[in-house]
This record gives sequence, C-alpha cells and structure tokens, in this order.
Amino acid sequence: MRALDLDYMLGLVPVILGYVPLTLFMAVMAMLMALILASMLAVERVFRVPVLDWLVMLFISFFRGTPLLVQLFLFYYGLPQVLAFLTQINGVTAAIMGLTLHFSAYMAESIRAAITGVDRSQWEAARSIGMTQWQMMRRIILPQATRVAAPTLVNYFIDMIKSTSLAFTLGVTEMMGAAQKEAAGSFLYFEAFLVVAIIYWIIVEVLSQGQKRLEIFLNRAYAR
Amino acid sequence: MKNRYFAAAVIAALSAGPVVAQESDTLRVGMSGGYFPFTFVSQNELQGFEVDVMNAVGEEAGLEIEFETMSFSGLIGALEAGRIDTIANQITITPEREAAFLFTQPYVIDGAQVVTREGNDEIDGVDSLRGKTVAVNLGSNFEQLLRELPFADEINIRTYESNIEQDTALGRVDAFVMDRVSSAQVIKESPLPLQLAGNPFSEIRNALPFRNDEEGREMRDRVDAALTALREDGTLTEISEKWFDSDITSAPEE
Repeated sequence: MRALDLDYMLGLVPVILGYVPLTLFMAVMAMLMALILASMLAVERVFRVPVLDWLVMLFISFFRGTPLLVQLFLFYYGLPQVLAFLTQINGVTAAIMGLTLHFSAYMAESIRAAITGVDRSQWEAARSIGMTQWQMMRRIILPQATRVAAPTLVNYFIDMIKSTSLAFTLGVTEMMGAAQKEAAGSFLYFEAFLVVAIIYWIIVEVLSQGQKRLEIFLNRAYAR
Repeated sequence: MKNRYFAAAVIAALSAGPVVAQESDTLRVGMSGGYFPFTFVSQNELQGFEVDVMNAVGEEAGLEIEFETMSFSGLIGALEAGRIDTIANQITITPEREAAFLFTQPYVIDGAQVVTREGNDEIDGVDSLRGKTVAVNLGSNFEQLLRELPFADEINIRTYESNIEQDTALGRVDAFVMDRVSSAQVIKESPLPLQLAGNPFSEIRNALPFRNDEEGREMRDRVDAALTALREDGTLTEISEKWFDSDITSAPEE
C-alpha cells in the first residue's frame, strides 16, 4: 500500500472549493424551480382536475420511473437531434432543468401527502366559516403541511446537491468534473476523489444542522 | 435601462449560435482535459501539448482561442452540433471521419500501442491480445483499430469514458491501447505500475477536424496555414520537445 500524497490533497482543496459556488448555484436554482413546480403538481393531485390530472400522473410516473442520468442524457444529447434549438442550451442550464423535472416529481408526491395528511377537521372548520378554497389552502392547510413536508424536502435538496455531480457527464466542470480532470493529469485517483467526497460531506453536514434548526422553528407551535 | 441590458444579453445569446455565419475571429476548441500529456488539468489549469499548439495557432492566425472541455465521447457530437469549431484531442484521420469533416494537415504522427500492467510479460504486442480483456477510450480510434483486427472477435474490448490507465494498473483489464507517445509519457510520469507491450502496431495521423461548410472550410484553411508556418519556423518541434523530449510532429525519416 502506498502512502497518501497529503501535499497533493491540500493543494487540491482550494481548487475543488472554487467549484462549490457552481454546485450550490445549480442545486439552489433547481430546488426553487422544483418547489414551485412540485407545489403546482401536488395541488393538482389533491383537487384532481379532469384531463390535467392524467397528464400530471404521466409526468410524475415518467420522471420517477427513469434514472436521472438517463433523463439528462436524453435531454442534452438526444433531444437536440429532434429539436435543433436545444443545442443552444448549455450544460449548466440542462443540468438545472433535468434536476428540476426529476426532483419535482418526487417532491410533488411528498407535498401531496403532507396536504392530505392535514386532519379532515381542519378542512371542515375552514369551510364552515366560509373560506374560499384558496384562502383555506393558504391560511389553514399549507402552513400545517409545510411543517410535515419540510424534513423530506430538505432531504431532497441534499440529494439534489449530490446529484449535481452528474452534470460533469454533460461537460460541466463542477466539483466532480474538476476532480476527475485533476486525477486524469496526476493519476492520483484516490486522493482526488477523497478530497471531493469530503467536501460534499462537509456541505451536507452543514445543511443537516440547518435542517434541525428549521424543524425546531416549524414545530414551535407544537412544542410542549 | 435594465431592460436594455437584458435585450442586449438576449441578442448576444441568440447570435452566439451556429446559425449566424459571420466572419468570426474566435476559435472554440473542444478537448477532454483528461488525456495526459496532450490535454490535462493540474491545479485547475488546463495544459498540455494540444493547449500549447492551439495557443500558437491562435497567435499565428490572429484567432482568439477558447477552450471548452467535455467528455471525449461527446466531442464529435459537439462539433457536429456547432457547440465547438474544432477538436484538439489527438483526433486520428480515418476514412469515416474524413467523409464527415474537413481536416487540417496532420500535426502528430504516432502509433497505436498496447500497454499492460508492470510485470505482465504474457502480453508482448497486439498479437498476444487473443482471449484478453482490453480497455480503450469510448469513441476513440483505437477501439476501431482493435475491431478491425482479423482476430477481433477473440478480444474482449471494454470501452471507457476515462481512467483506462487505472483499471489496467489495478488488473481489472489485461491491457489498454492508446497512442504510443502518451503511453510512454504516462509510464514515465505517473505512479501507476505499467509497461509498454511490444512495438506500435499501426501508424496514426492526428489532425484538427472542422465542419464541412463554408465557415468551417474558411477556418480550416486559416488554421492549416498557421500549422504550416509553425512547422517551418520550428515552433511545432519546440512544443513537442517540451512535452515528449522528441519530435512527434513529423514522420520519422527512415
């Protein structure tokens, strides 16, 4: 067994850290868009609008039923053969769009579960005092559903951060792509991939701390 | 005010595409950034023989060189789609590629080389690959060369996106095939336990491909003229000596 090249690893840390903003940018953008899309899908699934419901189910089924890597390849390398204007979309945009579609399908299901999980009495009470459906959703149901959905949504965000590493297959040099290229030049694979793993790990640990605080904050009304 | 900037950005974004055929002084060069020592990254800096050659070409031809790195197997598709203008990644001239693209003159003349794990003396060249597992880069010409061998169906060819050197060193495959020059350089510079197996088995000529349209032809001619000038003033030889301690840019005189 050979010794780890610690000097090389230390030299690599600032290089990989330089790509953290790009990774976070892709994850945050995809998360914001996925939250919006997933909320719309979830609300539709609760109210089951005719025809639209069928389309939403098809969407969720496809994006949950196929691997993210396949979706990214289909979108970035496949579709442009059919729709020429898609060649204008760069790798970062394609990765963000792929992550958005993929994760919104999952997030829609957990938001829907959180909405339907709010006790029937809450719905009935809201109706009985004459609230419209929109008022009921906004003021009674969604605040309670948020508390239930938050932990899983943060989990999806963590998963999303890690999934940005697939963007390097679309030619995006992000953290994983940078590590891969450094390794191809130095042939110190273990060191390069260990550095990138540790940095991902630290990012996710920091987020997990934030997740705990968020849960305490959302549960404050229920604290006994 | 903001809107005007936005409009300008939109126009810039739209006109950046391949649709607009205008005299351009930027050459977008695609490379993998993962093929030591031709194109590789160290401390976040893209470098290697190809980078030096393209920068010299840019200076000679008055072109702004923009490097774009992406996985090797995606490079040809990116060239076809107009995401890049040429590929500097040891692209071998083959009849199939010549039918699809316009090539400059060759700027590297090299051979295909079998490389195996250090101490594996069972393999001493291409003929001993019968019944063996051999790694090649996906989409590379070496895959094609192996498949054209008369005993190709006796070789288990495995294609990789990257890291063929590592899998050979680890013993997951019996050998890999790549060009002679980079193989020798990898063995010299990397910590991996590898050795050359026998002599190179096929001459290969590497050149820069361009799209076969008016814009591509014009750019090819400009770059080709620059290569001729760099060959004549000794710059190509100089760059080659820097990376390989020998001149790989012209045919050996025998």
